[in-house]
This record gives sequence, structure tokens and C-alpha cells, in this order.
Amino acid sequence: MSTGQLIGNGIAAFLTLCIFSFLYKDNPFYKFAERLVAGVATGYFTMLLFWTNFIPKVWEPLYERHEIIYIIPTILGIIMWTRFSKKWAWVSRYSIAFYIGIGSGVAVTLALYTYLFKQLQATIAFPISMDVAGINQLLVVVAVLASLIYFFFSTPHKGAFGVASKLGIYVIMIGFGAGFGLTVMGRIALLVNRVIFLKGYLIALFGG
Amino acid sequence: MNIFEKIMKVDRRWVYLAIGLAVSIPAVYELVATYILKKENTTINIPITPSPEVKKVYDFVESMKPGEHLFICVDYDPSSMAELNPMTTAIVNQAFAKDIKIIFVTLSQFGPGLVEQITSSLAAAHNKVRGEDYAFLGYRPYPAITILAMGVDFRVPFPEDYYGTPLDSLPIMDGIKNFNNLKGVIELTSGNTADFWITYGNGRYGFPLALGITGVMSANYYQYLSSDQLLGIIPGVKGAAEYEELVGFPGDGKAQMAYQVIAHAVILVFIIISNIAFFGTRKRKGGMEGGAQ
Amino acid sequence: MDRVKFLIPTFILFIIAISCVPAAAADIVADSAIAILPPNVSDVIVSDKPNDPGGTLVVEWILPDSAALAAMPIKGVNIYLSGNHDGPFELITSLPKSALHYECSDLQDGESYYFKVTATANGLESDGITSAAGIPSGQWFNTERLPILIVVILFSITAITFIIKARGGYDFYVRPIAGIKAVDEAIGRATEMGRPILYVPGLGSAADVATIAAFTILARVAKKVVEYNTRVIVPNYDPVVMAICQEVVKEAYASAGKPELYDPKDVYFITQDQFPYTAAVNGVMLREKPATNFYMGMFYAESLVLAETGFVSGSIQIAGTDQLVQIPFFVSVCDFVLMGEELYAASAYLSREPQQLGTLKAQDLGKVTVVILIIIGVILSTIGMSGFANWFNVG
Repeated sequence: MSTGQLIGNGIAAFLTLCIFSFLYKDNPFYKFAERLVAGVATGYFTMLLFWTNFIPKVWEPLYERHEIIYIIPTILGIIMWTRFSKKWAWVSRYSIAFYIGIGSGVAVTLALYTYLFKQLQATIAFPISMDVAGINQLLVVVAVLASLIYFFFSTPHKGAFGVASKLGIYVIMIGFGAGFGLTVMGRIALLVNRVIFLKGYLIALFGG
Repeated sequence: MNIFEKIMKVDRRWVYLAIGLAVSIPAVYELVATYILKKENTTINIPITPSPEVKKVYDFVESMKPGEHLFICVDYDPSSMAELNPMTTAIVNQAFAKDIKIIFVTLSQFGPGLVEQITSSLAAAHNKVRGEDYAFLGYRPYPAITILAMGVDFRVPFPEDYYGTPLDSLPIMDGIKNFNNLKGVIELTSGNTADFWITYGNGRYGFPLALGITGVMSANYYQYLSSDQLLGIIPGVKGAAEYEELVGFPGDGKAQMAYQVIAHAVILVFIIISNIAFFGTRKRKGGMEGGAQ
Repeated sequence: MDRVKFLIPTFILFIIAISCVPAAAADIVADSAIAILPPNVSDVIVSDKPNDPGGTLVVEWILPDSAALAAMPIKGVNIYLSGNHDGPFELITSLPKSALHYECSDLQDGESYYFKVTATANGLESDGITSAAGIPSGQWFNTERLPILIVVILFSITAITFIIKARGGYDFYVRPIAGIKAVDEAIGRATEMGRPILYVPGLGSAADVATIAAFTILARVAKKVVEYNTRVIVPNYDPVVMAICQEVVKEAYASAGKPELYDPKDVYFITQDQFPYTAAVNGVMLREKPATNFYMGMFYAESLVLAETGFVSGSIQIAGTDQLVQIPFFVSVCDFVLMGEELYAASAYLSREPQQLGTLKAQDLGKVTVVILIIIGVILSTIGMSGFANWFNVG
């Protein structure tokens, strides 16, 4: 590791330990590291947005290529800034309406296709049978039906309906348990990555 | 206060310390074994069996021929690097080794730095030339709109690549207009861009789509595997380790597995102890209430 | 003598015949060599690709019959393209023999294109069959997605019908939700303990459905807080959300006839950074020691950090979010959790707004429909009738 890398990684190691210090309690080192990352991220994102979006999508089309049609989205974008004015905030609703209108129009069809039709087809397409795949399919169907019944709000959950609803919440909790376990793995991975980084830095620092 | 109540009232900082020590064990072992005991090959290897959903992604890339185009979207930030960088590196290594051409894009503001970091090191290792063997188109916000636009023509949202070169000047983009000209898309993300790719990408244009995602999100996307909306999933750091196992490339994913095993074992012990304590305190409270009646 | 006279011309003719035979034979051999080409495909048809935005033609053909293939099996086909029936044709792709159709895209709408399909084998190529003209065009409507349109129309009609009914005063039943029943008890507890209530409206924007539901629940909480004369603290992530929360809480105080008791310092903006916001809210919990914490809206990775700190402070915690990934964390730490759609249902239950009630009812009807479709579909698939499931395989 060169001297420059050693210094850079040393700063990273120091900031890592500052964040970890929060595990004991809130302290100035943690606050410093937290605010540093917030400031750097904001500054970086602002510059990135300027060079990768404003310049190629607004400046170049209008100023360099004289494509006047781009004046329309530019004006709609500028109008969004009126949200900060109490008197003129109503004007921004036109931009928002345009954006939400297009977004909704595109999203409705595709969302129904992705989240309803394809899922429905996958749920009902496989036959139930006595082999492993068939029993798995039966479990999936029962779990889906029970979960749907749990989220039914128009009748009280009593009797057979209540039993199905209870099964639904158990199924949902099993799903959440799986998600929780995977999350633990993910969070531990973040910690492990930092530990490996610190180990590597120690090795580099002491000439390993 | 009985033992169960004492356990329930343990300061969580002791738990943090225990996890911290547990995770440090493999690192300390490697340091001591390498530099004090002077042993060689001190890395702890955990046997890994690739799961079917990871193998599907591997097989898909493996089935591509030299010269065919793969689209990789890097949509994660540095906070998810631990889980997603290993799988990204493994996929890119596999693709470059097979002379597959890669087009990179990012829909995350932190993506450009990550893509540059990955491409600069791996391209050099495989003697790949930017513009001929791979291209980085850059960053655009609003994933839904960008994906829809790319489905028409990559040049609509990206008239130039990240470095300011017009796409038509890049040899890699010859004959590549939109997703129809690619073999498939691999999306690597820690956020909700996965939903956008499934809905607006695969849902609208129907191209083969694979996901590389963090462990947190994994459970929510298996349903798309069974409905064939996804051809495969690489879930979290375990998925990354499995992919590295398949590619035969030892990377950060496999290196983390020993730490994961020990940490998970410690967590399991804590979960069992705390559940025993929880039910013990509940039973005791119930008994006391019953007696009071 | 006569025999010699007869033999000499015969011999000459014989010599001539022998010398011609190799040529004739060679000709026959040559003709055979020219003639042994792969058999042509047949019935080359070009049509516009249906349900597309334009620029694509579909070429279809039929392989030679089995007798021709037995004589000379083909290995693949070549596809040629031209703007004129007579060429010149340009090779655009080569396909294996198993391919029976090809989609050619990036063509100009309204222009005529001709395709020639040839068969290849052993380095030889058949003459090819040229198609009739094909003219690509785009369609305005994707008929394959008609089922989606039907569903959208039916759902919209149902939702509008229920909304109109709710506006007309019809009292729709919404089952009680455990988390909402606990709200009143939790507020009462805070009053008894003389400690404030903390209400965190999440990290979403004012346009997010979960945040809108959070506003409704805040209105209910604020109303109760005024009745019990307790304090509610609302730290905000988004400035627009803060403005709406301020209006909601101020309105609650005004409705109860106690506008002077509203303190704007209790509903404030912190920062739009995720973890600094979390750190600040943690600080509020540790300093103010609220008796009850509400987490309603959109939460991300900070959910467990918030809920854990609240647990350590000894607060009762009621959470509600539609972020699936965060629900397990809230479930493990909080006393009551509104999961996903329960948050929206709670909002409808509390506000009794016609739009929310009507939409909830329409969704419930949709769920009933889905349950029935699943049951029918699974039964039909199990007895071997897969056509029903294929109806959902739209475009």
C-alpha cells in the first residue's frame, strides 16, 4: 500500500471506529462522522446531478443543439421550484400533474401485469399432486389464500374465517422470520466487511 | 429478580460486544496464524453448495457466446458494497473471461464511483478496452423513465457515455439499439430499482432479467422466480459466495463466510437463551397472576 | 468387300460415339452436380408483427417435406432482405433448421420489404423463395393486454360505486384492527404517567400512501391528546410533511376549542438525512422519555434503530408501515404493528372518508375475486385443463 493509500485508508478506518462508537453511546466522534458523510454525499450528488443530467438534458439540447422542444420539460422543471413559495406553490401542481399522470398511466398496466396477472398465473398453473412439487404447490396455494383472508377487512374474523385468518397470520410471520434471518445475514455482512477492512489496514500499517 | 428476568434486562451493549468479538475471531486467527505462527494458507474455507437460483444466473452467463452483449446495472451504494461488490466482481470476471461484451449503467447516484472502481481493476486484469469490450453509459435518475427510454433506444437517455463519448462512436454499441439486441440484463441493487426493472423492464420488454440483491430484500423476490419474471437471483453475501464458487474465483464473498458462520452461531445461541428467558418470565407472571386471583 | 465397306463407317461411328460418351457422361455428371442443391423451403409468408410499436416484420416458412429432406437434409436457413422484389438482397441472418420464423426489426414503417429464405447444407445453398411485400406498421392498442384493461375498468367501476355509496351515507363495515384499539389505551397511559407522546410520520413524502395514512392516524391521536391534555411531539423528515402535520395538529386543538394550547415547537423539521434524523429522534426519546411512541408511514433501515431505542426507554410502541422489509423489525420490538394494508384500513376506519372506504371495499371485492380464481384455477390445472391459467399469461 502506498503512503497515499495508507493515509486514505487510515482516515476510512478512523471514521469506521467513530461510527462504531455509537454502539456504546452517542458522542462527538459519531456526530462528526455522521455529518461528514451527509455533507459529502449531498455535495457529490448535487455535482453528479448537474453534470450527468442538467448538462446533457437541458444545457446541451437548448444551448448547443438548439432543440427548442426541450424548453417544455425545462419550464415544467423550473415550475417545480415554485413549491417553495406560499403564493406561487399552486403553479407546481401542473408539473406534478403531468409527472403523476404519465407515471400512473404507464405504471397501472405494467403493475397489474407484473404484480397480479403473472403472479396469479404462477399460483394456479401448476397442478396439485402427491409428489414433492405437487405438495409444495398445495402449500403455496393454501398460504396465498390464508394470507389474502387475513387482509380481508369487510367481515369480522370469526368461525372458519377466523381460523383461516389465524393461519394467514402464521404464514405471514413465517415469511417475516425468513426475511428477518436474511436481514441478519446482510447486517452481519456489513460488519464483517468493516472487520476485514480493519484487518487489512492493520496488516498494511505494520508492514505485513 | 430471577435468572430469566436478569437475562431479559441484560444491557444490549454486552450483546454488541459478543457479536463484535465473534466476528473478530477469524480475523484474529488469520493474523496470529500468519504473522506469529508463520503458517501458510490460513484462510478458513467453508464448504459452499450453490443454490438453484444462483446457478441459473451462472448458467445464463455461461451459455453466452464470445462477442454477445450483457447488460449490467449497478444500482447500489457504498453501504451495500459488502454484499453486492463480491457478486458484481464475480459476474464481471466470468463475462470478461468468456469475452462477453458488457454494457454498464447505473440508476443510483453512488453507482458511477462503484462502476469505475470495478471496471478499472477488472478490465486491466483481463486486458479489456473501454469502448470495445465494455462501456459505461453513466447515471440517470428516475429509474422507471430511464428503463422505458432504454427499451426504445439506449441513445435516448444516454446520447453519450459517462466519459462524454457519443454512443455511436463506440464500437461496442454497433448494432446495439435497445434491449432486443442484448442477451439479458443483470440488475445489482440494494434498493427498489429491482421493482422498476421487473415492472418496466421485464414487464414491458420481456428480456431475460436476473437480480443480485441484498439479503434484506431477498425474501420478497423469490415469487418472481416461480412466475418466470426472473431467470435467477443472487441473494446477499451467501449468494455472492455461491457465485464465486461456481465461477471458481475466490473473492470477498467466500472470504466472509467463516465470519458469517461464527456470527450466526452466536446469534442463534442468543435467540435460544432469550426465548427461554422470555417464556420463563411470561410463565412466572402468569403463575403470579393466577395465584393473586 | 461389302463387309469392309460396312465396317469402316461403323468403326468410325463407334469411335465418334465413344469419344462423345465421356462428354455426355460428364454433362450428365455436371448436371447432377448443379442439380444437387438443398431443397427449398416453402410458403414464405411475411406479415406485420401484431401488437408492437412498429418497425418489425415476421417471416415464416415451412421446411421441405420429409422426402426431400431424406434426399438431402438441410442444416439451416439464410434470410435475405431487400426493398425490391428482384433484389439486390442482403443477408441479414443465418438460423438453424429448427427455426421456422424470424422477426426483423428496425424497419421503416410504411415501406415495402421483401424477404428471401434459402436452405443451406454442406456449404451449398438453395435458390430460395422470395416472399410477397411486407409493410411494417405500429398498432395503437395491444390486444394481448385486453384482460388488463377489463380488470382496470371493472375495478374502477367497483371503486367508484363504493365511493358514491359511502358519500351517500352508507356505513361500510371495517373490522376492528388491534393496533387502532390500542391507540386510545396508549394515549391514556401517557396521560396517567404525565409523559408526552412521540409520533414519527416516517421518511416518506406527502404523496406516499403510507404517509397519507399517517396523517389520518395523527389526526386521531391529536384529537385524543387534546381531550386528555397530553403533549404530542412530531419530529419530521420532510418539510412538506411537517407543514401538513402542523395543520393536522393545529386543527385538532382548534376543533376542541383549545387553539392556545397548540405549541408549534412540538411539530418540527429535523433533517432530510436518514441517519441524522434517526439520531435526532433517538435523542428526543432519551431526553423526553415519551410514554408512547407511534411509528406510522414509510421506514427504511432506521426502523429497528428507532424501535430499539424506544424499547430501551420503556415506551409502548405502535408501528404501521407498508415497507415489507421493515415489518419484521417492528413486529419483533413493538407492541402493536399495522402491517401493509392494515395501515390503509386503519386510516379508512378512523377517518371514514368516502374515498378511502370505497377503495378499501373495492380492494376487498378484488381479493374475493382473486381467491375464487385461484380455487377454480388450481382445480382446473389439477384435472389437466391448463387453458384457464393461460388466460392470465397476457402479452
